[in-house]
Amino acid sequence: MKVITQIMLDEWRYWLRSKLGITVLAITLVITIAAVIVNAMEMRQAAEERQTLQKTAEARFLEQPDRHPHRMVHYGHYVFRAPSPLSIVEPGVDAYTGTSIFLEGHRQNSAMFAEQRQSSGMTRFSSLSPSFLMQVLAPLFILLIGYASMTREREAGTLSIMVLQGLSRWHLLLGKLLALMGAGLVILLPLSIASIGAALQGESALVSAGFILGYFLYLLVWSALVLAVSTMSSKSNSSFAVSLGIWLLLCILIPRIGSSVAATVEPSLGKLESDFAVLEALRKLGDGHNAADPAFEQLKKNLLAQYDAESVDELPVNFRGVVAEYSEKKLTNVLNQFAEARMEEERSQANVLRNFGWLSPTIAVRSLSMMMAGTNVETHHRFLRDAETLRFDFVQSLNQIHRDHLDYKTDMARSKSKASSLAARVSSDNWSVLSEFEFKPEPGTQRLENSLPYIAQLLLWCVLVMVMLKYTMRRVQ
Amino acid sequence: MISFSDIKREARFLVRQRHIAFLMILSFALSVFAVWSGIAETRAQSATIERLLEKNDVDRQGVLAKQKNYGGAAYYSFHLTYAQPSSLAFAAMGQRDVFPWKHRIRMLALEGQIYETDADNPELSLQGRFDFAFLAVVLLPLFIILLLHDLRSGERAAGRYDLLVVTAANERKLWLSRAIVLCSSLAVAVLVPFLIGAAISGASLQGILFFTLLVLAHIAFWMLLSLYIGKLKSLSALSSAQLASVLLAFWLSFAVLIPVGSDTIIDEVVESPSGGQIVLTQREAVNDAWDLPFSATWDEFLKTHPEWADKTNMNSQFEWKWYYAFQQAGDQKAANLSTAYREATQKKDALAGWVALLSPPMLTQRLMTSIAETDIQAMTAYEQCIRDYHASLREYYYPLLFNDVEFSVDQLKWVPEYSSAICDNT
Repeated sequence: MKVITQIMLDEWRYWLRSKLGITVLAITLVITIAAVIVNAMEMRQAAEERQTLQKTAEARFLEQPDRHPHRMVHYGHYVFRAPSPLSIVEPGVDAYTGTSIFLEGHRQNSAMFAEQRQSSGMTRFSSLSPSFLMQVLAPLFILLIGYASMTREREAGTLSIMVLQGLSRWHLLLGKLLALMGAGLVILLPLSIASIGAALQGESALVSAGFILGYFLYLLVWSALVLAVSTMSSKSNSSFAVSLGIWLLLCILIPRIGSSVAATVEPSLGKLESDFAVLEALRKLGDGHNAADPAFEQLKKNLLAQYDAESVDELPVNFRGVVAEYSEKKLTNVLNQFAEARMEEERSQANVLRNFGWLSPTIAVRSLSMMMAGTNVETHHRFLRDAETLRFDFVQSLNQIHRDHLDYKTDMARSKSKASSLAARVSSDNWSVLSEFEFKPEPGTQRLENSLPYIAQLLLWCVLVMVMLKYTMRRVQ
Repeated sequence: MISFSDIKREARFLVRQRHIAFLMILSFALSVFAVWSGIAETRAQSATIERLLEKNDVDRQGVLAKQKNYGGAAYYSFHLTYAQPSSLAFAAMGQRDVFPWKHRIRMLALEGQIYETDADNPELSLQGRFDFAFLAVVLLPLFIILLLHDLRSGERAAGRYDLLVVTAANERKLWLSRAIVLCSSLAVAVLVPFLIGAAISGASLQGILFFTLLVLAHIAFWMLLSLYIGKLKSLSALSSAQLASVLLAFWLSFAVLIPVGSDTIIDEVVESPSGGQIVLTQREAVNDAWDLPFSATWDEFLKTHPEWADKTNMNSQFEWKWYYAFQQAGDQKAANLSTAYREATQKKDALAGWVALLSPPMLTQRLMTSIAETDIQAMTAYEQCIRDYHASLREYYYPLLFNDVEFSVDQLKWVPEYSSAICDNT
């Protein structure tokens, strides 16, 4: 144990002396801290802004005057997606998805105002998010300080001396690995502090811990990989070139290729095109605005029989309201069916990309990180579903008010004159049917469970590089 | 000047280096993949537009057959707008996965519709596509660093350095011709698939030429930078790996730090209303109209359409002309916010254009997407097209609604159709 610590400390002393290591470390640290601070501020600001807009939208709905209830169905409501606590470190798809949806009767609208559409367009390759720095740049920094860790000793001839003196190869490699990991931990520090901060902001402690652990494993993979290459190489220069090539492949090439492959092998129709199929299915349901639509004949018969009435005028409920409620339910079933199919398409696209995590630890850690932080496409889908539930609830509540609190004949005469239009209204007290919207990502345990495949990917990478390291040990002599 | 025989000698020498041959083959393969997936993607987009046009037409005919007045016809018929991928879009997909390139609109208030986005899968957009522009902008510099960082020190390590320098007629020419051979082979490896792809998708000669020159210029920049750094006296003590680290620091600054840093600053400097405010404002304006006296709608509407001042009489509590007038009025009330929002996008893009002058990769990226018409400019121009087209729909329907023209389905044949040609003229 003492030997290992000694080797680790020697390595650190070398970095301090040679300036290169310490320069790289200092630069990385400054960038990461800046990223954490800037990102946390931006996300906090976005969260506040969306919360204010949410409150405004709710207040406006309640402030509406007495109206015909169906007017409120079309007045509609806006919901805004609050970012999750961990998005201060891993913003994930937040900038690429719309953050607000307009909810109204008979329609499911798409999410609007993706932040990326309002940006300078320069952050398509890189971003200042702490997660990008950890996933793509941290391995590069480990490479820069670690590529020569073994070749340096070999070139100077100290390696054979150490081996001849009876130093265990395991101890040597472990010491070097710990030295690199130590540097990795320094880089990980700002992210860890921010994650703990997120835990204090209401994120599950288990998730925050798992999140940090995921990045720890990732840094371990890279430290061991760089060390293995250095052990295998006879010269520092070739060690450098090979590690750089591996970094290029795993961190930059494969993720992009994965994304292109996913888009090509799992083409998605897009909302616009699937909307036509929705329309086709909806046309069969009848127009809910028109109670005389033949599609509602059966409903009418049943209702007349139920209340033992001759015509709809005699019904104790407003037939137009009944039709509105009935058709909204049918229509929503169809809309949901198509919406689910579209989300399924997006999920399988994302899964194609995530399977590239077996080929690149960068994709593995990214999937894990977004899954844990609740900033992946599934969380966005969850937002869409929550919004849809809210939409259906308030629209149906308004339809029930239409059914029970507005007389049918008054309703039918609503366009006759100013006075009849005023009569066909209900009190604004009814608008309190709207419930508050507060978006929360999935519970922590669920997110942990969903992350298991990516933890498995990372662990496999750990095993792989350890085996590699063991294999390269033979070259130490 | 560097003579042909210099080049030939260097080429013969370099072909025998295994890692160089490997890097060339890799670049070629990556370029083939980038071009192939780019073409597949743009073809899929064009095919989608074709299908959408067809489906939209069927849908509209079906809807129109049931209409009894122009107000209903305008309310129920949707119109498809789209931005076709240009013939060079395959090489630089730019912002086409974030900004919408297809949109269905109708004659209701536009501000309530135009922000709907049928965008790509956000996880794929976040990861980014592997297009030719990405290869040229981000990867080529790294390849050049890999190829050129050990020009001198590699020879020194191989023990040939002194011999080479002594036997070469001119030392500078030796390194320059070696670098030129390496970089031009790299250029050929990535450009050949691009040129074939461009020919297949029928790109204009001018566009192809611009693209090629951009790639060459970008390669030349990194080649000269590598040669310059390698020649510096103050760095002559560094090993080739340390030299490469210095070059990587340049790459990091140009490809990551400058874009990311300036993006943060630009975001901070340019004020923009939030999108949520626009739609909330627009909705209040449109919905309040139902409860306000008719005159309130007419006053606002007549500000921009005074020609209908004597046709505002109402015969019932609901008339289509009044309905569309308050839709228009709603747009007008949100116009200031909406304009500010779009101006903010333009301003950010303009500032990014200046910043790009500091970073050759960013500059290359911007120029490429600009030629391929996939940059923010092109995407906002498409949004303007939708706005213009929407305005032409209003111009078409207003006379029919205000003059109380008798309804005839035949008249609807003259509804303006969206075509990309509308955009090209503006």
